[in-house]
Amino acid sequence: MKNFFRKVAFGLKPDEKAPSDPLGWAQKQVEAISDLNWKGKHIYSEKEMRKYWITQRVEENTTLRKKFKNDPQGFERAEKQLEYDTGGKYWPNNEICIRHAEGVRSNNPVLAKLWYFWTNHFTISQTQRLHQYSTGAYQREFIRANMDKNFETMVTEATIAWPMIMHLDNKDNIGPKSESGRQEWRRKEKKPATLNENHARELMELHTISPKGGYSQEDVQELAKIMTGWRPKWTKKSDHGTDIKFMSDRHEPGKKKVLGREYKKGRKSLKIVIKDLVNHPSCREFIATKLCRYLITDNPTKDMIVPIIKAWERSDGYLPEVHKAAIKVAFEYNDKYQKFQNPENWWLQVINMSGAGYAYPVPEKMMDKFQLGYPVAQNLRESDWRLEDIGCHPYRSQQPNGYSDISTDWLSTELIIRRLMYAKEAFFKYKIKDQLDDKIHEKIIRTNFDNPDKILKIVSKAKSNEEKHMILFNLPEVLRA
Amino acid sequence: MKISRRDFLKGSATTLFLAGFNLPALATVSKKKNLVVIMLRGGMDGLCAVPVIGDKNFEKRRKNILIENTIKLNSDFALHPRLKGFNECWKENTGSIVHATSIPYTQRSHFEGQNLMETGGRVAYKEKTGWVGRAMKLAKLQGDGLALSLPMPLLLRGVPKNNNYFPASGRLPRKETLDLLRSVYAESSEDELLEMMNYIKKRKDEQMMGGSSGHGKRKNKNLAKQAAVYLRKSDGPRVAVFEVNGFDTHAAQGGVDGTHTKCLVEMDDIIKNLKENLKEAYNDTVILTVTEFGRTIKQNGGNGTEHGYGTAIFMAGGLLKKSQVHTDWPGLKRKEMYDGRDLNATIDARSVYASAMSTVFDLDFKRIQKDVFWGEDLQNLSDKLFKA
Repeated sequence: MKNFFRKVAFGLKPDEKAPSDPLGWAQKQVEAISDLNWKGKHIYSEKEMRKYWITQRVEENTTLRKKFKNDPQGFERAEKQLEYDTGGKYWPNNEICIRHAEGVRSNNPVLAKLWYFWTNHFTISQTQRLHQYSTGAYQREFIRANMDKNFETMVTEATIAWPMIMHLDNKDNIGPKSESGRQEWRRKEKKPATLNENHARELMELHTISPKGGYSQEDVQELAKIMTGWRPKWTKKSDHGTDIKFMSDRHEPGKKKVLGREYKKGRKSLKIVIKDLVNHPSCREFIATKLCRYLITDNPTKDMIVPIIKAWERSDGYLPEVHKAAIKVAFEYNDKYQKFQNPENWWLQVINMSGAGYAYPVPEKMMDKFQLGYPVAQNLRESDWRLEDIGCHPYRSQQPNGYSDISTDWLSTELIIRRLMYAKEAFFKYKIKDQLDDKIHEKIIRTNFDNPDKILKIVSKAKSNEEKHMILFNLPEVLRA
Repeated sequence: MKISRRDFLKGSATTLFLAGFNLPALATVSKKKNLVVIMLRGGMDGLCAVPVIGDKNFEKRRKNILIENTIKLNSDFALHPRLKGFNECWKENTGSIVHATSIPYTQRSHFEGQNLMETGGRVAYKEKTGWVGRAMKLAKLQGDGLALSLPMPLLLRGVPKNNNYFPASGRLPRKETLDLLRSVYAESSEDELLEMMNYIKKRKDEQMMGGSSGHGKRKNKNLAKQAAVYLRKSDGPRVAVFEVNGFDTHAAQGGVDGTHTKCLVEMDDIIKNLKENLKEAYNDTVILTVTEFGRTIKQNGGNGTEHGYGTAIFMAGGLLKKSQVHTDWPGLKRKEMYDGRDLNATIDARSVYASAMSTVFDLDFKRIQKDVFWGEDLQNLSDKLFKA
């Protein structure tokens, strides 16, 4: 039974009392979106963060390149300083602290675990420096904030979020027959307007109906046409980092046909086509399967998926209901299936179960000390490098399909080595008092396992408390939940 | 239009005859031979890397991103000037290109395409193993795969006990701790974890994990050096897999200094460092590239290119027959292109891979065709591309 607290959250802290109604405890957490646990002063909106991105990109690509045309070393120095000035190495660390505080310090770790699921579903991959400035804010503002809305709202908001439009190139998706596409200068400068299918394809393949939805290349092109014109507003002065607007002069005229349905030209069609995609049977099946794969098993069965689909249909894709149904299924299959935890969730489990939440994430008062213009101190940079080192940095996915949820993809020599070493590092997050507490592992084990004696017996073979940590957190019982 | 469709591929009848000997594996007496696969993720532009010479259709369509000062390979093709490592191989008669080739996938989705370039199948997500993994299984090569990346690539799946190298910083725990966990994994039937623990123990013995920062060591060019050290050993791995990301240049693909070039140079550095560090073992090695698709001929408004179809395969190593551009060139007139927009693929890339594996793993081509690629219609190119 206690396994459930690790399956849908990150286990229990050494002194935490197991909730008497685990299912109710978990379901209640997803009903509403609470305030963030993080109390640091640097929490900015995606739009505010864009200012730093703009400075970085414009300065780097124009001013600095011109200024240091013949001085590569000078360019390198100036580039580094520019990154200090814009906080390029600070923001991702700060954002991961915000993200992980939800997992190990808040009263709603279940919501946090599902938040991580959705940020991976609507991945912004590592490109154009978005991971340094924008992705963290995007994940708070467009993903987390919509977890108490319908799925349709989440898709719509994520689709026209500035980072998403940028990373899937819809900026360059311009109707060949649009007003802008027909302009004389395009012919003269040989810059023809062309469709860019990237975003349209991912909207169907990754975000809504999946390849099972049975769309054709033609459907992708037609959807791309519907999406023409959705881009950062272009002004004579700048095209950098402006808000996403529907620019009708770049929109492909005429009717479009996606999956057999016709859509008129104009800005309204995007919302309508998203509504249709979201209501496609393949969409709810795809999401339900993914949720089960994330929480329960690599190979979800039909019996697991069906209750989630039903909840979706009853509630019109209202995410709290969908989440509650998924949690219930996870509860029912709790003892029968153990899911191998991805590295990020495993790390948070280690911190949370060992009760080292006071030291990780790096506390607010330390993170707040950072000043723009200076290098980021080593001790504030832990979150960023650790997630990269462990192979699942949530802002640095190399592909728009995010990270795999299949255990084989997380089982390799290197990743197991990292779990051994990071379990040890987690131990040294402890204050001296806890490091010296010979009873602490027994407490952790009794709180978190139904078979404490068996596990205690194994762990007691270790020579030191440090080694106990390494062994405990690499037992199959902890690697899986 | 300088060259039109030609037939470079006469004489395959002899190949069939030679392939008739039904010997499962001839590995017992021969030298250890290595296969290195470099996966180019995002869609490598074969015509940026190996442009066709003097084709007006081509030059007209990508004015702003045309590569200048290319290295002439033969009368029809040139090489991107930054691919210096590969050029060295070419000059030494150990570098080849197969052009106008692709895996049989035409739908232009990265994820489906990358899934298929690794599984070697025709239906995305259907197969759960990779073509290298299956061939290794056929050749009974367990524990001979090495991935130079963090997650284990699908390409190597299908044969158990693969290893990966992508170093972190820090030191491994002491032997007793590893042994304890090992015994727990064994008792709980955690077979995969058990295998990983065996590798970790071995690595501990080899003192592989330095205390210094892992970051520099994780760059592809440095991973290539380490991989070469392993491959060179007689009891080391026989297969290594690299990944280069970032070929998906929808915008700002650029010319000779662009982003596509940067990725190509990363690939080139792997080839260069492997060659240098494999030393004599380079003579018994085939290095080859895989990508999910090529890119459209025509540049788009953002000076990038869209997902296409036909592309090129780079190959290097002493097991190559000679330096050549092997192609059945389809031409670049509108009607000659795939969908009127992409370079066509006239050679199934899997024919090249099956032939390479036949050479490296000493397996009969027909067995690979049947057991690795489900008996699909592939050409045996072994005698054209590789040494017997």
